[in-house]
Amino acid sequence: MSELGRLALALAFGCAVFAVCSIGWGLRTGLSGPLRSGRRAVWAVCGLALFAVILLERALLSRDMTYRYVAEHTSKDLPLHYAFTSLWAGQEGSLLLWLLILSAYGSVFLFAYRKRLDPFYDAVAMVVASVMIFFTGLLTFVCSPFRILATPPPDGMGLNPLLQDPGMMIHPPILYTGYVGFIIPFGFAIAVLLTNRSGTRWIEEVRRWTLFCWGFLGVGILLGARWAYIELGWGGYWGWDPVENASLMPWLVGTAFLHSVMIEQRRGMLKTWNIVLIVLTFELSIFGTFLTRSGVLTSVHSFAESNIGPWFLGFILLSATVATALILYRKALLESENRMEAIVSREGSFLFNNVLFVALTFATFLGTTFPVLSEAVTGTKISVSAPFFNRVNVPIALALLLLTGAGPVLSWKRATASVLKRNFVLPAFLGTVALLVALPFGVTGVYPLVCIFGAAFVTATIVMEFARGIQARKSVETGALPSQVTHLVQKNKRRYGGYIVHAGMVILFVGVLGSSVFQKEAHGPLRNGEALAIGPYTLTLRGVTEGQRQNASLTTAILDVARGGRFVGTEHASKAFYSKSQQPMTEVALHVTPAEDLYMILGGVNEDGSASIQAYINPLVSFVWVGGLVMVFGTILAASDKMRLRREEKAAP
Amino acid sequence: MGKSIRLTLLSLVVVAAVGYLILTGVKQTGMQYMTVTELARLDHAPKSEGFRLDGTVAPGSVVYDQRLPKLQFKMTDGKEKIAVVYDGLMPDAFADGREVVVEGAYKHQDRALYASKLVTKCPSKYEAKGLGKDKS
Repeated sequence: MSELGRLALALAFGCAVFAVCSIGWGLRTGLSGPLRSGRRAVWAVCGLALFAVILLERALLSRDMTYRYVAEHTSKDLPLHYAFTSLWAGQEGSLLLWLLILSAYGSVFLFAYRKRLDPFYDAVAMVVASVMIFFTGLLTFVCSPFRILATPPPDGMGLNPLLQDPGMMIHPPILYTGYVGFIIPFGFAIAVLLTNRSGTRWIEEVRRWTLFCWGFLGVGILLGARWAYIELGWGGYWGWDPVENASLMPWLVGTAFLHSVMIEQRRGMLKTWNIVLIVLTFELSIFGTFLTRSGVLTSVHSFAESNIGPWFLGFILLSATVATALILYRKALLESENRMEAIVSREGSFLFNNVLFVALTFATFLGTTFPVLSEAVTGTKISVSAPFFNRVNVPIALALLLLTGAGPVLSWKRATASVLKRNFVLPAFLGTVALLVALPFGVTGVYPLVCIFGAAFVTATIVMEFARGIQARKSVETGALPSQVTHLVQKNKRRYGGYIVHAGMVILFVGVLGSSVFQKEAHGPLRNGEALAIGPYTLTLRGVTEGQRQNASLTTAILDVARGGRFVGTEHASKAFYSKSQQPMTEVALHVTPAEDLYMILGGVNEDGSASIQAYINPLVSFVWVGGLVMVFGTILAASDKMRLRREEKAAP
Repeated sequence: MGKSIRLTLLSLVVVAAVGYLILTGVKQTGMQYMTVTELARLDHAPKSEGFRLDGTVAPGSVVYDQRLPKLQFKMTDGKEKIAVVYDGLMPDAFADGREVVVEGAYKHQDRALYASKLVTKCPSKYEAKGLGKDKS
């Protein structure tokens, strides 16, 4: 069976090479035959990748220990669902999943544009196929998932306990769907340069693809944060770890692109800039994989380290060089059609937004790679961690928050004083009121106060935008308020979807503010019946039990939780000892309320029978997840909008 | 022309502000990488106290008071040892001989690093070597 798997991957490599050559030839000669065969080869890669995945899954599910990959990542006592998801527990399987998603994107792309007999779309397919060469090549020649052991062990090494978590089952596929998806915008950008295509139709198409993978990437990041919160057991969800940063960077640049693309559509400006942003987003996605896999930096993901880092670095360098050369070669195509008329305008705010997003990405990049950079430049290796990022990124993020309120209500070209007055006086007033309300609650410090002002300011501008939209439709719309809002949103999903994403972002900011600034901590050894006080809560130890799970034994502290003296629930904080890895795993107990999470960790049981308990109150953490969900909802709305073309293109026959 | 100058100025202000944040950020929060040997053989107190060390947990050196919680151990790179003091729970993957990364303040008079961050590298990678060679 393993030979079949190797054969499938080798054939996929051949098909990818064929696709690139054939489409390239077709584009050069204008013959449709080679283009057709090239497209078919892309489909074939997808089929072969799927076949390889099925073969590997079959081995994983049957725990066929002759396969090195199976022996490394599973064991006979591993629950079936984790055996299934261990496909992406290790490097070879992750790369295979990556290839499957990549080829699926290629096929979906070709299917979506099957009726367009425009070589432009073939050029996009060619770019996708050339990335396929890289991944099929890695899987065939460098790290095959179908390696067979000389002496199969009686049982496998088991799955890393950190990965035995429901969130971890879906986090990698969703994150990859985001990461890999940026291949399509990248393909569009390269195809535009290759075929010398002008106009804005492609930019509208690219916007939807970008929204799609940007949304998935966002969900993937949040699931990663959620996993860190539940599994890593340190009380937080974001630690500015290199791998976390790696996933954040393409998201940030993608966000910048989603904004600046509107200027290109409306005003035909910033063409070069947009192409650069697309290329950068893609490169940062690959860079994310590189960071995760190379082990150049120490991170919570160090279990993913391996030797394929140089290949990725080479691929990044090559693709970035090609893209840069093409951009320079097609300078004339990317000439701006208009000039900026005033700084205080929609364009101006978008431009400022872009500068800030790129600055945020740059600071994150610099901080993440600082050990490597400082060693190269000065010879001493310096590393920065969370305090650096909080210092540098928080003010930039807050400036962006304020801009979220300001941007959408500025008019295009030039905002007059009366527009400013009409749109800003009320939100600024409400922001100030929010400040005054927050002060008695002990909120101090410039950043928290700016955040509170910004949150209220942005919320007010969003509500006003909705109100204004409803007002404008008064003559045609007479229903109740909820149906008025629904119809308004349906009328322009893109715009109001965007506002909903902004609203989600505000909720997320409030969550981050609450959980970072107002976290409380308490710890202590507890004997049976003893209590630990933290904020309004009292935790009383009811006992410690020993239990057994399929592949682990559990020590659990049973805690009665009371708030303000009133019993609110019993929670279980555990340590699990997995039989294979011989190491403990903290299993956090969470008492979740809308306003705060009570987060409880069992440190261990002491010789005298007392249990060491550490507890945190994390205010407003649920806002982070809810804000994320609202953003997803807004993204879906915005992506489902029908194509909007510029007037001149509609008029063209 | 006024607009493009103003635009350039505005961008410059942003770039300068971000540059300032990064520079002071590195200065105030940066931690210097050192090997255990380099740090252990220093004969004078270092100029800045922020350090980051890679090494392994010296077997038999771990003293853990779970109640406080306070974790003390010696870190080694095979040649020298350095005492590490960490006020916090022992990370799950922490054990004798494991690879760890610590960040914190080095106090020369105590010859100890007071860690603010302790990351344990996951050992699964090393154990997997026990599977032996590939047949194909």
